Amino acid sequence: MAAHWSSENVVVEFRDSQATAMSVDCQGQLAVLSSRRFLYIVNLDTPTEGHRKISRQSKWDIGTVQWNPHDSYGYFFAASSNQRVDLYQWKDGTGDIATSLQGHTRVISDLDWSVFEPDVLVTSSIDTYIYIWDIKDTRKPTVSLSAVAGASQVKWNKKNGNCLATSHDGDVRIWDRRRPSTAVEYIAAHLYKIHGLDWHPDNEHILATSSQDNSVKPFSNGLVTVMVPQLRRENSLLLWNVYDLHSPVHIFVGHDDVVLEFHWRKQKEGQKDYQLVTWSRDQTLRMWRVDAQLQRLCANDEIMELDELMDGMSLMPEQKIMQPQEQTSGPSEEEVAFSEDSSSMPVMVGDTEQCSLPQTLQQEFSLINVHIRNVNIEMDAMNRSCTVSVRCGNHRVRMVVKFPVQYPNNAAPSFQFVPPTTITSAMKVKLLKILKDTSLQKVKRNQSCLEPCLRQLVSCMESFVDQESSPSDNPFSLQNPVTPPLPTFARVTNAYGSYQDANIPFPRTSGARFCGAGYLVYFTRPMTMHRTVSPTEPTPRSLSALSAYHSGVIAPMKIRTEAPGNLLLYGGSPTRSEKEQVSISSFYYKERKSRRWKSKRETSDSSSRPIKAAGKVIIQDISCLLTVHKALGEMYILNRGDLQEMCQKNAASALSVGRRDLVQVWALAAAANDICLTPKSDPDVETPWAHHPFGRQLLESLLTHYCHLHDVQTLAMLCSMFDAHLQPQGNGVSCHPFPSRSNHSRYPSFTSSGSGSSMSDPGFGTGGWSGGGQDGDHAAPWGDASPDEYRYGNINYVDPREREKEQHDKNKRILDPANTQQFDDFKKCYGEILYRWGLQEKRAEVLKFVSSPPEPHRGIEFGIYCSHCRSEVRGTQCAICKGFTFQCAICHVSVRGSSNFCLSCGHGGHTAHMLEWFSNQEVCPTGCGCHCLLESTF
Amino acid sequence: MIHDAQMDYYGTRLATCSSDRSVKIFDVKNGGQILIADLRGHEGPVWQVAWAHPMYGNILASCSYDRKVIIWKEENGTWENTYEYTGHDSSVNSVCWAPHDFGLMLACGSSDGAISLLTYTGDGPWDVKKISNAHTIGCNAVSWAPSVVPGSLVDQPSGQRPSYIKRFVSGGCDNLVKIWKEEDGQWKEDQKLEAHSDWVRDVAWAPSIGLPTSTIASCSQDGRVYIWTCDDPTTDNWNPKLLHKFNDVVWHVSWSITANILAVSGGDNKVTLWKESADGQWACISDVNKGQGAVSSVTDGQQNEQ
Repeated sequence: MAAHWSSENVVVEFRDSQATAMSVDCQGQLAVLSSRRFLYIVNLDTPTEGHRKISRQSKWDIGTVQWNPHDSYGYFFAASSNQRVDLYQWKDGTGDIATSLQGHTRVISDLDWSVFEPDVLVTSSIDTYIYIWDIKDTRKPTVSLSAVAGASQVKWNKKNGNCLATSHDGDVRIWDRRRPSTAVEYIAAHLYKIHGLDWHPDNEHILATSSQDNSVKPFSNGLVTVMVPQLRRENSLLLWNVYDLHSPVHIFVGHDDVVLEFHWRKQKEGQKDYQLVTWSRDQTLRMWRVDAQLQRLCANDEIMELDELMDGMSLMPEQKIMQPQEQTSGPSEEEVAFSEDSSSMPVMVGDTEQCSLPQTLQQEFSLINVHIRNVNIEMDAMNRSCTVSVRCGNHRVRMVVKFPVQYPNNAAPSFQFVPPTTITSAMKVKLLKILKDTSLQKVKRNQSCLEPCLRQLVSCMESFVDQESSPSDNPFSLQNPVTPPLPTFARVTNAYGSYQDANIPFPRTSGARFCGAGYLVYFTRPMTMHRTVSPTEPTPRSLSALSAYHSGVIAPMKIRTEAPGNLLLYGGSPTRSEKEQVSISSFYYKERKSRRWKSKRETSDSSSRPIKAAGKVIIQDISCLLTVHKALGEMYILNRGDLQEMCQKNAASALSVGRRDLVQVWALAAAANDICLTPKSDPDVETPWAHHPFGRQLLESLLTHYCHLHDVQTLAMLCSMFDAHLQPQGNGVSCHPFPSRSNHSRYPSFTSSGSGSSMSDPGFGTGGWSGGGQDGDHAAPWGDASPDEYRYGNINYVDPREREKEQHDKNKRILDPANTQQFDDFKKCYGEILYRWGLQEKRAEVLKFVSSPPEPHRGIEFGIYCSHCRSEVRGTQCAICKGFTFQCAICHVSVRGSSNFCLSCGHGGHTAHMLEWFSNQEVCPTGCGCHCLLESTF
Repeated sequence: MIHDAQMDYYGTRLATCSSDRSVKIFDVKNGGQILIADLRGHEGPVWQVAWAHPMYGNILASCSYDRKVIIWKEENGTWENTYEYTGHDSSVNSVCWAPHDFGLMLACGSSDGAISLLTYTGDGPWDVKKISNAHTIGCNAVSWAPSVVPGSLVDQPSGQRPSYIKRFVSGGCDNLVKIWKEEDGQWKEDQKLEAHSDWVRDVAWAPSIGLPTSTIASCSQDGRVYIWTCDDPTTDNWNPKLLHKFNDVVWHVSWSITANILAVSGGDNKVTLWKESADGQWACISDVNKGQGAVSSVTDGQQNEQ
């Protein structure tokens, strides 16, 4: 350990610490440096001596570490490690894990203590959830925000305790923790991944982001105020003044490697200077004094008004994320997917490539993806050089890359522009700088760098061209911090897979539905389609997740083993071009035999073949699972004439389909219908059989049983039969509404006597089936014996015998009259099922036993003019002259029941008479000359 | 990618819809499969189809990501777009025809949070009623109550015909299941059922066979399927019962015609059938094995990738 004091800063070196994260406590007294094996606690007043170590046993690096910012809890700090957050307690020079927060299912990307509540902590993870924890109850998060896309950064608002911001790739979402289901605001902030995010310390509505695209943007109220593109300088930190964004106020130069973390140290009393603490990959901790002079340079006195920025590469959150993944992913590491999308960033590709590093230049050349957009490469492995041509907009770049012999072992290639390069010299300098930085960064780790350099080159050129083509977006022209929002931040309105789809559910790709009367229709994804994410991870809920998968934010683990082309893995940018249509299939990929990387080229060819995304739709007959049987529906009979025979036949039918239970039921039914059990008409003779335990009670228990089984077929048949059982013997129930059953079912539109039909036969459109119409008589199709009349009819009996008789009639019934409505429902429901089976006649037979009046007719109704006084009448009797309104053309008797008449001439009469007449006649029986058969629906 | 498949009333025709923006109708009588119609008109993936009751003719409704609901009708053997409803501001996720007794009436649930009720009386234009902000964030599913309303089991006054109470159930991104009821021509929220911890993906009101109990199945992103029952129609007291917690999202539930079996399907690409035992417990009776016992199968080879 060595310390170098200078006027400018304090440098403390922690060799071999391998620390990846750093945090300064609320007092500005202690800093924690965290590595895989140890946590170092450094006293910043005496940084060179007496630092303590807390050892930890973990194979994971610490992702983020943060001291609690509140004095009362100042001895707490939280460190995230893979899927867990450990809360450490630092007291009296020793530290222990106080508790752990477990809940995330993937790597935690960031954490932040609440500014207002000392025991509240928020964590973000690439598992797409953002959890808010109360450390008093660490069992589960108190609030869970679901973002669909994995978050890389999270920060509490410093003024509003309910507000927090998260970054997702290039987007920022603002959340209100009281509304966890969806983000309050979406900001499409950057074209590339955001690495840094922070709120304004004093203004609730301002936040700053830094991104891979080398720019830092402060936002206020969702509007962009200023945009600052900044070239990458890995090893330095720049201090900016938000009121003058043309150039940094100060550059802190000193670190030899990437700056990983920086924090302001709390000002000591009586001290005027601020101190900035930085930690770098060069394993040194530096403290920088921001003296009064430097503070004056910042227009505002308040140094906290400054936005300190760090450059693109410095924060590398992807690396933190990627590392655990590499350890967990399987043997297929050799296969590497190279994206065809040139806009992908080397950092993102970088670490995934590590395992498949080509060791020689020749290997690298053979592996390089020649399909980078707008790029042509001529490779010459013999001379250790290659020539690269890039076209971008109107610009052309031609460049020779020469590889030293030691390459890639800490020896960077050289880059040289050659004609016909058309870009300006200033741009050349910038590009060379970028290329050099990129290559150095790779070769330092003994990695090959050609492809990352090419991608970097292309993306830089594109951004330059973009800036040129849209001068209004040129940030250097923005003198006034308050400018209209830039077009790049306009909301994407119609793009499929955009964040607007966040509330559209993720499409179903499989499903099952019961259809018809005994089919199950189901469809599934093709067997060859598999999800790109591991099967243990739930399917996303929202359609917008597609764009996340599309852009590779969630970095599905299997994706690396997949061939390119199916999925645009490294789309990187949330603003995608026409070509990059997101589709539902992007969530799934087609299974392929794994290939060695040698056959990569072949893979990319085959990827152009369209995958067959549609699976099979299977119609399965599941009638065996149902309690109703179509065969029984066909075979069952309802014969009121001979109930015994009916029961026997139905029992035989039940036996033939294997329903032994129903055989017994029909046997019981037959017994209950025995002629000797027929109720007597005189109530005084004996108690009706219905009141015997084997009467109504037995039937009820049967019905209850079949209710539990949902066997509506049996229920309806039993109810119909016991209705039938009563009707022929009931007092005066001889007048049957359907004298001829065949008539009814063959001419469903002809008869007007309420058939109880709540449906028409197929093929009739709305109102079409009502041609036969129902005349005013339809209210009483059941004659005087309608059960309704029994139940509700004239209650005011004069004669007590009447009342007794009515009571007796009720008692005689084996079906409890109180449940008539329910029994009707069974019949209607069974009728519906019969209809689906196409058994209309059977259905009509069952529905004849429905007691309640059919539903009111809603089709055409016929107005009738009284045949005597010509006034308009509804019903059979004229309200004015009291005469019957409608006279039969044949028998000249007033029609009360079933009637039919011609729509053209208006003549008609009793249905039976009309039928008979028109069976051999064509013209109207009145002699009016109307060809009724042709004119109307006869 | 197919998103829905449904057979008509008689089980003779199959309609499928896909992300390739098409709706296809197949004749599947006698185990065959003949493509009858390829309906084009949607400008986005089509999420769901629904057959109307055949008493109104051969009518099919479809809803899509393109915010449209299209009602297709077969006239003289050709299928035509008979009505296009564009009253939603976001993807329409679910369509469901009311029981035929209510007339030709369609409920549509959309991601704009609203539910539309389209009614056709036989002449004139379609009547549109809209329940705005039925579900905050979005409505994912709608399902009608059967027309045989349990309330009618109570004795009706003499001579009065049972007046149908129109009700339907909906599920949405507010994790709620809501029951809606028509009162004096206005749709009102009748019940709010709370049990799911994530978006409700589908709801299904069980068909009635005449029992007093109303039953609703709901499934959610949280992998849970709940069976809601209301034994007493007068109290409107709905009790949830957890059918099962699946490992992945459950996005479809469907009742068999006698409401004794529930088919559940979800993101795990599996279909399971559940049956209630006599003591009220739900048990899985089968995983539908692919291709076994199928009377016919349709391969939509023409459905393009999207």
